[in-house]
Amino acid sequence: MALDLAIATILSPVVLFFVLGLAAALARSDMSIPEAFAKGIAIYLMMAIGLKGGFEMAKSGLNLEIVGVMVAGVLLSFTLPLIAFTLLRATTRLERIDAAAVAAHYGSISIVTFVAATQAVELAGLPSSGYLVAVAALMETPAIITALLLYGRGRKKEAAVAGSQQGDLLREVALNASVVVLVGALIVGWITGERGEAQVTAFFLTPLQGVLCLFLLDMGLAAGRGLRQGWRALQPATIAFGIYMPLIGAGLAALCAFVLGMPAGDAALLITLSASASYIAVPAAMRLALPQAKPSIYLTLSLGVTFPFNLTIGIPTYVVLAGFISG
Amino acid sequence: MAAMRRLELIIERMALKRAGNILEEAGLTGYTVTSAMAGYGRGQRWTRDGDLSTAQDMVVMVTIGDAEKIGRVLKDLHRLLDAHIGVLSVGEVEVLRPERF
Repeated sequence: MALDLAIATILSPVVLFFVLGLAAALARSDMSIPEAFAKGIAIYLMMAIGLKGGFEMAKSGLNLEIVGVMVAGVLLSFTLPLIAFTLLRATTRLERIDAAAVAAHYGSISIVTFVAATQAVELAGLPSSGYLVAVAALMETPAIITALLLYGRGRKKEAAVAGSQQGDLLREVALNASVVVLVGALIVGWITGERGEAQVTAFFLTPLQGVLCLFLLDMGLAAGRGLRQGWRALQPATIAFGIYMPLIGAGLAALCAFVLGMPAGDAALLITLSASASYIAVPAAMRLALPQAKPSIYLTLSLGVTFPFNLTIGIPTYVVLAGFISG
Repeated sequence: MAAMRRLELIIERMALKRAGNILEEAGLTGYTVTSAMAGYGRGQRWTRDGDLSTAQDMVVMVTIGDAEKIGRVLKDLHRLLDAHIGVLSVGEVEVLRPERF
């Protein structure tokens, strides 16, 4: 079953378009998706995912079990950077600031990996709940706080960067586009329920797969370009971290899912969230909070190593793991 | 025509507000920002295509002011560039309406 699911996931149009983009970029093809179009698709996808989650939440409602999963998600996001930072400092020669920045990425989440996992869960015939979108949104930012505390611990307070204003980091972290669109669409979906779903399905839900193919083609191009341009910044131990850290995150989330008694589909999504690494919200926050950290390290690792790993090998593994722990 | 200083700052987009604050607080009457498409630095090429986080986007800020105002911002911009990726240059230009600056 595991092998069948892995093959079906890898041979899905979404993953194959990602591989096409990756291969094209690595082969130095000049193919590119116009930047403004790609950013428009990203907003479309966030809206579609948020709405989908909101519509499903309107059907299922909010209960104590859901709140438990949300708390677990936040705790995972706070905790994972601690593990990531400790491992990076012990196994790589990354400077403290780079280790903290990378740790923030691995405590936060990748919404595209989450969407790909949703498809894999559907493919495996497992039902999943819409509230996991809310968990995804909640897991975006706690990791940034932990990473900043880790970097600042035991250090003299540094003078603020010239020109910075109080609150600009908080604004970026709490109100970055992905969080606002995702949470906003979730609330819209929740409020409007079935009536809203009937009105927007044709635009937001039916074409989702096709748009995701376009987006993953662009992600493949970005990952390939990132790898081509930034691989020199990564040591073998750092690349290895990009592979084993998702598995550690997956293991911790699996433990939470087991304790909370989550159904397999929901467990697979929580595991995927915990195993994924951010490449949209956190890199932007890091440029403000830790501008001396090197983006060539954290972006290349997150987008060029962990994202392709999760998309091809990680997700089928997490679905199987979820099936195993949910009995 | 009157002699003025033209300051050009190529800086990462995320630091744009910080640079803007420095220019505005120094009393410069305006600046213009354009997007940088691609470039090369620190042994690496970069391009804005495909970076959804915009964390690696660069912008070009241009402002014109008298020597005193431009001199006033240089120290703070130097401190800004200690933290953020960027390149600063200042040159002499002539302007038609000096009272605007």
